[in-house]
Amino acid sequence: MMDSVRRSILATGAAATALAAAPRVFAQNTKQGETAMGTFEKGAVRIHFEETGKGFPLLVIAGGGLNSTIAGLSGASSPFNPMQEFKDEYRCIAADLRNANGGQSSGPLEIERPWDSHADDHLALMDHLGIDKFMVHGFCIGGPLIWNLLRRAPNRIVAAVLAQPSGSRPEARDLFYDNNMKGWGPELVKRRPDVTMEQVDKFLTKMYRTNPDFVFTVTRDFVRQCQTPVLILPDDIPAHPYAVAMEAAMLAPRGEVSMFPWKEPKERIPLAIRQIQSFLRAHRPVAA
Amino acid sequence: MPIVEKGAVRIHYEEAGSGYPLLLIAGGGLNSTIAGLSGAYPPFDSFEEFKGEYRCIGVDLRNANTGQTTGPLEIDRPWDSHTDDHLALMDHLRIDKFLVRAFCIGGPLIWNLLKRAPDRVIAGVLAQPSGSRPEMRDLFYDNNTKGWAPTLLKQRPDLTPEMVDRFLTRMYRTNPDFVFTVTRDFVRQCQTPVLILPDDVPAHPYAVAMESAMLAPNAEVSLFPWKDPKERVPLAVRQIRSFLRAHRPMA
Repeated sequence: MMDSVRRSILATGAAATALAAAPRVFAQNTKQGETAMGTFEKGAVRIHFEETGKGFPLLVIAGGGLNSTIAGLSGASSPFNPMQEFKDEYRCIAADLRNANGGQSSGPLEIERPWDSHADDHLALMDHLGIDKFMVHGFCIGGPLIWNLLRRAPNRIVAAVLAQPSGSRPEARDLFYDNNMKGWGPELVKRRPDVTMEQVDKFLTKMYRTNPDFVFTVTRDFVRQCQTPVLILPDDIPAHPYAVAMEAAMLAPRGEVSMFPWKEPKERIPLAIRQIQSFLRAHRPVAA
Repeated sequence: MPIVEKGAVRIHYEEAGSGYPLLLIAGGGLNSTIAGLSGAYPPFDSFEEFKGEYRCIGVDLRNANTGQTTGPLEIDRPWDSHTDDHLALMDHLRIDKFLVRAFCIGGPLIWNLLKRAPDRVIAGVLAQPSGSRPEMRDLFYDNNTKGWAPTLLKQRPDLTPEMVDRFLTRMYRTNPDFVFTVTRDFVRQCQTPVLILPDDVPAHPYAVAMESAMLAPNAEVSLFPWKDPKERVPLAVRQIRSFLRAHRPMA
């Protein structure tokens, strides 16, 4: 409890520092139980986040594609809740993805740089919290987002866990575009009068159709030379191709991989969680 | 050539590297020797992979045909006699707590170490562990009667076929189930972290490896298969490295 209070104050302090440096940045934090909730604004972007636990910082990205929200971490579609599993050893931080339906993060639809706009938000959140180096654990869309973070901020990310990562199947290149045009897009347009389906189409086209291959955000050459330790837990549903997950794990010079399947039967999930725990412990800085 | 003697037992061992102690047990069943930790036989070279971070200690199993460790055939306590040797070697080296990483017969031997010395073994890695298949309960008895025993009898005039038969019967036929050396109840309550890398050849049943991994409360498991294609082996080695780092005591 004391730590949550302290962190909430620290986070507010960091926000105050940021406010002094950049008047357009605003932050507020509240505390509910052992979880601190906060919102910060950077320009036209408003990011809702939550924190729990103590230790080395661990950014947690929920599944759910463009509807990735903090709530999704404790929902039925998440194999486990990393905030609960890792809070005893890590300062766990999760955020609603910008413009996720059901979330409280919002901002412009950056049509020319969809993936980078989300990476901007994650890095801005870490800056806001005064965190330089961190680990990251992501489900689903968290896979491409993590690779993009590794490209954008290789010196800040100590190690990464990609669980059931999204990827592009050669036989279903339009899967993500189609799903989001039917699901995420129309809901977003309903609640955002400033956004049109034409803009959504351009955003999704850039995100998923311009270079629809592999893990969307980085090339095989990037993965081949990436020195950050990564642990990949493959899945094999249309949006989470096993072949792409294994290819990435085999290419990455410091890649590790879980058993497969690891979610079925559900009694296998604790084994996967223990592997993640060992991986994170093995790679976090010694003083943490 | 380092040798430790304890009564009638002469144990040949070798060391490489520095760091937290890591006992290495080669595959090869009753012919498990240090030589089996390198070369073409094992999926990877344990000394080479781990000597950068650990004080690696390899040992010839007592009475392995091509090894240099010798001693009595303890007919009534085959598994325990090998565990005696491992613990005696650690005592000789003044090592109290250690990690252990093993192939094949090392699986049952690690479980026996965990039973005998739970406070000394910090964590165990069981690669392609041996186990008993319900459909082939006599596999190990038969293989060793044909393979290990005849050569041993040639080398050791003090041993008789009857003694070898009783040794192998006790080892592999008296309670031929699961991992041979401990019960499912033992594994279910074993708090030592274990990492299991399953195989699926007759002597290394996948089902037994996975059953023990599912039962052990602090178990982890590797991808499967992890040896084929051979490009997967580095992924498994990295997992072993992370597992060992995560569980070794802080310096």
